[in-house]
Amino acid sequence: MLDLRPDIEFKKELERISGAPLNTCMQCGTCSVVCNLSPDVKPFPRKEMVYAGWGMSDKLIGNPDVWLCHQCGDCSTHCPRGVNPADVLSATRQLTYRKYAMPLFMGKLLGKPGLLPIAILIPVLIIAGIIFAAGTLKIPEGPVNYSLFFPHAWLNASFSVITLLSYLLACFGFGRFWKDMNIHHSGTGPKMGLFRSFWGVKNDIFAHSRFKKCEENSSRKVSHFLVFYGFILLLLVTIFAIYAAITEKYPLALTNPFKIMGNLSSLMLFTGLGIMIYNRIVAKPGSERSTYTDWLLLGSMFLLTASGVIVEMARFLDWSLAYYLYFFHLVCVWFVIIYLPYTKFGHIIYRTIAMTYAFSGRRK
Amino acid sequence: MTKNIGIYICSGCQIGNSIDTNKLCDRMSGELNPVVMHSHKALCSPDGVNLIQKDIAEKNIDACLVAACGTGVKDDAFRFDNGVLTERVNIRELVAWSMDPLCEDTDMAADDYLRMGFAGLDSTSITTPFILDEISEEILVVGGGVSGLSAAIEGAEAGYRIHLIEKNERLGGWASKWKKQIPFDEPFEDLIDPVVTDLIKRVEENELITVYLKSGIEKIDGQPGEFVVKLNGSSIKVGSIVTAAGWRPYKPDSKDFYGLGVIPNVITSVELEEKVSAGKLPKVESVLFIQCAGSRDLEHLSYCSSICCGISLKQAKYYRDEHPDAIIYILYKDIRTIGFLEEFYKEVQDDPNIIFIKGEFETIQQTGDSVEVIVQDKLLGEQLTLNVEQVVLATGMVPNGTDDLKLGYRLGEGLPELKYEFPDSHFICFPYETRRTGIYAAGTVRAPMDIPSSMDDAGGAMLKAIQTIEASKRGEAVHPRSGDQSYPELYLERCTDCKRCTEECPFGTYDETSSGTPVVYPNRCRRCGICVGSCPERVISFADYSINIISEKIKAVNIPDEFDEKPRVLVFVCENDAMPALEMAAREKLSINPYVRVISVRCLGSINRVWISDALSHGFDGILQIGCKPGDNYQCHFIHGSELTEQRSEIMEETLSTMMLEPERIMTKFVEITDYKGIIDHIDEYMEEIELIGPNPFKDI
Repeated sequence: MLDLRPDIEFKKELERISGAPLNTCMQCGTCSVVCNLSPDVKPFPRKEMVYAGWGMSDKLIGNPDVWLCHQCGDCSTHCPRGVNPADVLSATRQLTYRKYAMPLFMGKLLGKPGLLPIAILIPVLIIAGIIFAAGTLKIPEGPVNYSLFFPHAWLNASFSVITLLSYLLACFGFGRFWKDMNIHHSGTGPKMGLFRSFWGVKNDIFAHSRFKKCEENSSRKVSHFLVFYGFILLLLVTIFAIYAAITEKYPLALTNPFKIMGNLSSLMLFTGLGIMIYNRIVAKPGSERSTYTDWLLLGSMFLLTASGVIVEMARFLDWSLAYYLYFFHLVCVWFVIIYLPYTKFGHIIYRTIAMTYAFSGRRK
Repeated sequence: MTKNIGIYICSGCQIGNSIDTNKLCDRMSGELNPVVMHSHKALCSPDGVNLIQKDIAEKNIDACLVAACGTGVKDDAFRFDNGVLTERVNIRELVAWSMDPLCEDTDMAADDYLRMGFAGLDSTSITTPFILDEISEEILVVGGGVSGLSAAIEGAEAGYRIHLIEKNERLGGWASKWKKQIPFDEPFEDLIDPVVTDLIKRVEENELITVYLKSGIEKIDGQPGEFVVKLNGSSIKVGSIVTAAGWRPYKPDSKDFYGLGVIPNVITSVELEEKVSAGKLPKVESVLFIQCAGSRDLEHLSYCSSICCGISLKQAKYYRDEHPDAIIYILYKDIRTIGFLEEFYKEVQDDPNIIFIKGEFETIQQTGDSVEVIVQDKLLGEQLTLNVEQVVLATGMVPNGTDDLKLGYRLGEGLPELKYEFPDSHFICFPYETRRTGIYAAGTVRAPMDIPSSMDDAGGAMLKAIQTIEASKRGEAVHPRSGDQSYPELYLERCTDCKRCTEECPFGTYDETSSGTPVVYPNRCRRCGICVGSCPERVISFADYSINIISEKIKAVNIPDEFDEKPRVLVFVCENDAMPALEMAAREKLSINPYVRVISVRCLGSINRVWISDALSHGFDGILQIGCKPGDNYQCHFIHGSELTEQRSEIMEETLSTMMLEPERIMTKFVEITDYKGIIDHIDEYMEEIELIGPNPFKDI
């Protein structure tokens, strides 16, 4: 028995983000039929479209199926009513980041374009404050040496602490997400251990095997693959760099294998992000809709990569603007890494959780 | 009266490839002995028509037998001046195109069709139309709602004097009780003011329209062209009638109907509309509209009223305009928004506060001030609980009966009702037509419909009413035998007052004297000939369609003797659907068995048992009757001709048993007009059966 209590504000927000006229869906089921990712039993996105039309936020947020969708857009292309189910699910995911944000205002801060200046101001002020506290808040003289501007120890320590704090808080949100999935979708609830379930979806994540089934946006698999591994490699390089900084072997020489790996991964990121941005700019009308959340992540990642490369070059070429660029780069790092649970980047967590949950309920 | 008959055979349209028409001329001119006999390579060409006209002028030909294509093709070319009869023999489809070329059986078929045509022509007489001395060109419109008002305006604007009667104190009907109306033109966003106000004004201003308020009909007598209507003690004469008696909301008998009358928060859509008009719409947070409440439901109305979905969408807007946060639930089986209603539906869909649920109602109960409704959702297969402050039941439309017409017909005061109690004569092909010629139904009395459709419908019905008056001036039939000037003529000396004709005529053409003798009103007649088939005494005939004419055709067929092993089967084919299907089969190059001889009849119901006994005693091995499909989804153009054939099969079996023949020697089959393959199959299967039964023992006698 389902108690129908429509959340009209939620429905309006879904319509606003997705641009989909939800009442127009005539429940023909074409979306579920053309979707290669949808399970055979209780397939999505058809039932999600019913819940959306009824403004049933509980049934949409905290629904693992929403995350089994990889937004290929096959459903939207074939939708005879132009309701674009892919965008409705995408909008639902955006509202998920917002709902489980911990603290709550972080979700709003990064979900609304009007609040972007504040979102920028926060890292600018905090980073400047840390540098001030380190006593180095002035442009150093002589050849470019970033540690003179922001001592490595201060940088690594402060950023690690803030990142961990952000993720720790976010974990409460992830926990609520898991709980909601259990309440509203108990039928697909866990039937096996967490680790075994995660092991079951590793190929979906690391080999992008679900992405392969997309028809409409087949190039997405390539670009996502490049960005995914580019980012992982960079993460490894960064960890090594922190280690190198502690053991006083920093900065690394250009011939250092880790440095080479770092530069290679920047190239991967550039290529992948370039394809993604290009696809969104030249997108055919009626295909996948690009929203603020999409652009925020793509933009900050692109700027992060670009500023990283420029900052590196500035060091070798001894540019006078190097320290300003470095500061900008650090703000980008903040946006991508520290804001992660509250932006679209959070999907790496939510999607992994939801896919694991679905797998544990033997939902394939 | 002997006729000067000329026979004209066409070899065009590849007829000549199958039949050697010169040889056919040689064979038949000796046997039939006509005044002239010609073969021509294209009889419908100016040269061919001239040939006939020259003979008419020079050789006093007064009856032409045209053996070429059949009736319905080139009719204008072969219609000659008054006084000259024409009989068409379809040797193109029935012989040349459907039988093996240039062979003995094909020649025999062509010969027989010529013999049949000749015999029929010889016994046919010239038709003199029945025209009333005095024909009223005024039209009665019954009912002053949207349909009646529109019909009156249409008729008056076409120049006819209209008498509009309304039983209430003022014009307008239901539509004048609504506050707003669904838009039926761009833009579809906002509800519009009811158009009926304007219609009333136009009627009141029109000098050709006389309005009778608070009036009822006392009696209607007569026939198209001269209906006498008794009204308020006086009487008026009209040529035709449009009835727009309208509808009433469905009221269930049962107590247990969605909590109606038990839970105060449950009202019907009409009750809601009355509240809105009175300015008493309560401001509520949540409303549930239950669609198909008592519609598409075998316990209540089994049909869809087609308007309730639109009405609920409109009423949802009433509530939304009253309260910006109100949530409206619409529980539906299917949203049926016909025509431009779909545009309005799309507009309403844009409102996120309207929640559509496809499902079935299960239970309802009052919980404090609100109502709890449990619904089985059809899309997710889940049970839903809804808590709302108001429930509105979208109940359907029921037609107001037509007994108020008080027809002085032997068959009853009202119009005969067919499916779902709507007066209709043929819902597919002839809208507006009722089973009383000259009386047409418009608007919701004949089918549930919305305001714009009623207005269109009124125009259509009014045109039919005008057409009837004009046809009666020429003494012609209206649909479906439009233009037919023949009419039933009764040889009453032989009548036994058995009342079969007065009962079986689907159109109430016959009244009776007190002793039971039929009184015929020719203008009520649709010329189906069912009375010809019904009369055991062979009293009724048309000038060009009678027992004698068909009997002569039957007897003209040459029956080969038993040892030739060439059976003969007579096929009566209804001209409405079966004959076109058979011709279509020939055009599609299907073969017709060369042993059958086809006679086209006006309706299967017009087949008289005399023809059966004549055919069997003449030596036909079997008789196949093929007509339109009977039943509720009827195809029969004369409503129950096909059904009558089934009912009469007992009499036919009796005829067979008195002749000591097998009952299988008569068979009845039904086809749709498009089923041209089926009609060939029916013939082939029957031929196989006849082969098994063997030859008719009467052959040699």
